[in-house]
Amino acid sequence: MHTGYLCLILHAHLPYVRHPEHENFLEERWLYEAITETYIPLINAFERLTGENIPFRLTMSLSPTLISMLTDGLLQERYIKHIDKLTELSDRELDRTRNTAFYSSAQMYQNLFRSCRDTFYRYDKNLVQAFKKFQDAGRLEIITCGATHGFLPLMMNKNAVRAQVNTAIELHTRHLGRRPEGIWLPECAYTPGIDAILKESGIKFFIMDTHGILFASHRPRYGVYAPIFCPSGVAAFGRDTESSKQVWSSNEGYPGDYQYREFYRDIGHDLDFDYIKPYIHPDGIRIHTGIKYFRITGRTEQKEPYDPVAAMEKAATHAGNFMFNREVQADYLSGLMDRPPIIVAPYDAELFGHWWFEGPQWLEFLIKKVHFDQEKIAMITPGDYLKLHGYNQVATPCASSWGHKGYNEVWLCGNNDWIYRHLHAASDRMEWLAGQFYNADGRRVRALNQAARELLLAQSSDWAFIMSTGTMTEYAIRRTKTHLDNFIRLFDQIKEDRIDEGTLHYLEYKNNIFPDIDFRSFGGKIA
Amino acid sequence: MTLFLPVLIGSVIVLLLALVLFYRPAFKTVKARKPEILADTPTFAEEYSVELAEPVRPKILDPVPELPRSYGMDRLVLMVRDPYWLYAYWEITATKMDEISSQFSPGLWESSRTVLRVYDVTGIDFNGNNALCSFDCSLGSNTDEWYISVPSANRTYCVDIGRVLPDGSFITILRSNPVTTPRDSLSDRFDEEWMWIEGLYFRQQMGVSSPLIIEELAERMGRLPIGISSPGFYNPHE
Repeated sequence: MHTGYLCLILHAHLPYVRHPEHENFLEERWLYEAITETYIPLINAFERLTGENIPFRLTMSLSPTLISMLTDGLLQERYIKHIDKLTELSDRELDRTRNTAFYSSAQMYQNLFRSCRDTFYRYDKNLVQAFKKFQDAGRLEIITCGATHGFLPLMMNKNAVRAQVNTAIELHTRHLGRRPEGIWLPECAYTPGIDAILKESGIKFFIMDTHGILFASHRPRYGVYAPIFCPSGVAAFGRDTESSKQVWSSNEGYPGDYQYREFYRDIGHDLDFDYIKPYIHPDGIRIHTGIKYFRITGRTEQKEPYDPVAAMEKAATHAGNFMFNREVQADYLSGLMDRPPIIVAPYDAELFGHWWFEGPQWLEFLIKKVHFDQEKIAMITPGDYLKLHGYNQVATPCASSWGHKGYNEVWLCGNNDWIYRHLHAASDRMEWLAGQFYNADGRRVRALNQAARELLLAQSSDWAFIMSTGTMTEYAIRRTKTHLDNFIRLFDQIKEDRIDEGTLHYLEYKNNIFPDIDFRSFGGKIA
Repeated sequence: MTLFLPVLIGSVIVLLLALVLFYRPAFKTVKARKPEILADTPTFAEEYSVELAEPVRPKILDPVPELPRSYGMDRLVLMVRDPYWLYAYWEITATKMDEISSQFSPGLWESSRTVLRVYDVTGIDFNGNNALCSFDCSLGSNTDEWYISVPSANRTYCVDIGRVLPDGSFITILRSNPVTTPRDSLSDRFDEEWMWIEGLYFRQQMGVSSPLIIEELAERMGRLPIGISSPGFYNPHE
């Protein structure tokens, strides 16, 4: 019997940034960088572990927008071009850095990019298949998210929430072969009542930030170390603060270690323009290539060369430290509880690899150490936990999010509050359309479905988040306004029965997410 | 997503830089027809401009559309920002204004001022007259949104937008949905209820289970059904 459970959750999400209308769209690179630096390194780590017969159990949420992009033919082809170019650059870098302190890093990048290419092709360019493979092998529990990562507590229309949830479940089931048991509420944002909607759709659990559980009423006896049941019967798991801080904090957390790779020094910015020109934006805009040769070094601008071996050793040390702390924690907590405590440690997947370059290595070391070096803690998923411990306290979680200050302020502030009068009007109109044209057919159905897509895309919490930061907001504002404007135009055309085939066709081509969407889900239909 | 922000910021800086650099050669091309002006010593930017003489970012982006300011519907929507702040936005149609004018005097708009009246309706079925307490926020003349500071977490609020007449009386124009502010501390309710998964077996009351507490719970649940009082679930059609 184990003393405690460790529940690692990686939330993988990117907003829908597919731009068929332009060959080189800067925001599309978010996807390519995440594939190269996060998703494929994770997949490769899972493969090595499987090859070495080391069992592991992780939870991942794959957001529907991410699944849609990873399974999109155009983006897959563009990624091939991207990684080919990057591989070519890493070949040239090997020559350029010969006999310098950067050579070992250059070799590392060459290996990384080549393995990305191999892995990408091995899964037929569809990385969702890779995650599904580990799901089917019992290694991953994959949960869903809001269809476009909409911020649910600020939707005033219940059916808008239902549409986010049901559209997500439908897409998830189609690509992963089974219905998700759990959901990552976008931004961990919850308000009482959302659980009842999850219940309707067969969702059994969701994840919250710490105070969402701690401030629940009635007061949970075991704090965040056991889930609670909402009055609807859906379980809520709360984030453990201690394990979060060790990984999340860029100052006191592991990722800030001086041996680790420095994120901000990239040859896309540092090298001679003529040399790097073929590998940056074709318009001559310097961008991150992903090749970075320095380590964090310290609080100084004088950065020292990165040493991949030293960094890897550090990742191993940190994995050991993390495990040791979880053991101590489990020992302590289990004395206070009638069951093993569950330590829930959720992270943005993109933290691993993209931001914390050594993150995937750390995770791999951790899994190995948990398997070989100790017996106190076992890795578990929320779904497994509920099967083992089906008797839990009932309490109503506290409305909360994992954003700054813990509530809704990031997504409702002076920089982005203007979006809600439009989003709410569009949601109400969509609900009306779903009722009014329930039995529609032909082109009208296409227009209704496209209107639903445009509304969902406008709802992405990513746009409000970017606006709240106050920098680089142009793209987020453009996306919000454009999708809402598309919605308004479609609404008018549908209502007045004058659907313009040209416009509709263009929007279907440009915003092609959720091919199987059913606009009726905005009328409260359950998937 | 959050993690891509540095990249994002990085890209925009570069973008801006490139923009600046790009517009130089455009000048230069024009000026090239007038060599006498070009005779100045080239600046640093001009030296670099030669190799950056390409367009910045695809220029064929569609223009960003403007959204309508109003949708022709009467609505006052109240949202929760955090335990101590609410946000309200509203839209009052001309029809509604006319209705109010004819109901009262046409001179109403000149002789009165707009206020938001905030009611604490925690635990009650609000009918307009039975709020536990209320306070007013005076508004500027041309606003259609407001952040409202509220005194307590875990309370239910409702807001009216209306006019205060010179004699102090208040005319409601629109009423908002109710919202409940989140807690910002541990619950003081200790009695526990436990449940088997899916409620498959039975619901069991544990710990303190005095009839009083259960009664109070039932009462509270009855008056504030989950899903109605929360900010996310105002349904204008209900």
